[in-house]
Amino acid sequence: MDLFKLREQFSQEGIMMCFNGPFSHSIIEEIGIAIRNHLAAEDTSRMAVQDVFGVYIEMTQNARNYLVSRDIHAGEAGSATIVIAKQGESYAVTSGNLIRTEDIADLGARIDQINSLDRDGLKKRIRQQLHKEVPPGALGAGIGLMEIAKRAVAKLEYSIRNIDGHYAFFTLTVLV
Amino acid sequence: MNTLDIPQSSSTPLIRFDAVERKMRISGESYPENSFGFYAPVVGWVKEYLSGQNELHLDIDVSYMNSSSTKCMLDLLDLLEDAYVGGAKVTVAWRYDRENPRSLDLAEEFQEEVTLPFSIVATDE
Repeated sequence: MDLFKLREQFSQEGIMMCFNGPFSHSIIEEIGIAIRNHLAAEDTSRMAVQDVFGVYIEMTQNARNYLVSRDIHAGEAGSATIVIAKQGESYAVTSGNLIRTEDIADLGARIDQINSLDRDGLKKRIRQQLHKEVPPGALGAGIGLMEIAKRAVAKLEYSIRNIDGHYAFFTLTVLV
Repeated sequence: MNTLDIPQSSSTPLIRFDAVERKMRISGESYPENSFGFYAPVVGWVKEYLSGQNELHLDIDVSYMNSSSTKCMLDLLDLLEDAYVGGAKVTVAWRYDRENPRSLDLAEEFQEEVTLPFSIVATDE
């Protein structure tokens, strides 16, 4: 494997950090701390550091909660790919993971709906959702994607690639 | 009643109750693997405490909170608000980092949710 070539490609695309593999809460935490230290060392403003960190945490915890709740655990299937890159003055956080094909339509519709809202609309929806009772067994409060959109400087960008009829690969890119 | 004393970790805040000052402190960062599981005993404790006592001061200094922690914090504030409306002496002091406007936004969003005395205090980290 030509790691040098891979490294060149990473640096051309401004990639600061990349992770691919089975992940857990402790990995999410470790990478998060590393990103934060890296940004702080570059004299990034505290607000920007927190935006990147916050978006990263929501995206990875979303992916993890989804994989756990849909029982997609084992090995390769339970993996996630996370890339954090510098793009001009912004940072792009990208995450990718498998989703079940029956979830494609809902997920796409949800992101499209969030993208159709402006900042005030998002805040209103978040507030409504926060006052709803969380269903028993839920791992999240149902506002992660909206919180991400609230911090983003561009619309959420996503793609869903069908793999084998059972699973598709979902990629989400957020610019902060 | 049990005392409330949860030490800080990198993804969970310190939560400690001072019986003399009747003050509950939450400080650190909050993005647990399972926020609902983490906060359930805290919410339970506050519920029990307020059923027997009529004074509680909440001091919050949390620099980052994930979305599910936000939900738990709101549940906690709802309990305090109910007690306040019922005549209890309840206050909240929310500390934010002066250099981070996001932490002020968060404080203000919580402040809008309640009518109890809620002060927002700037800190220099």
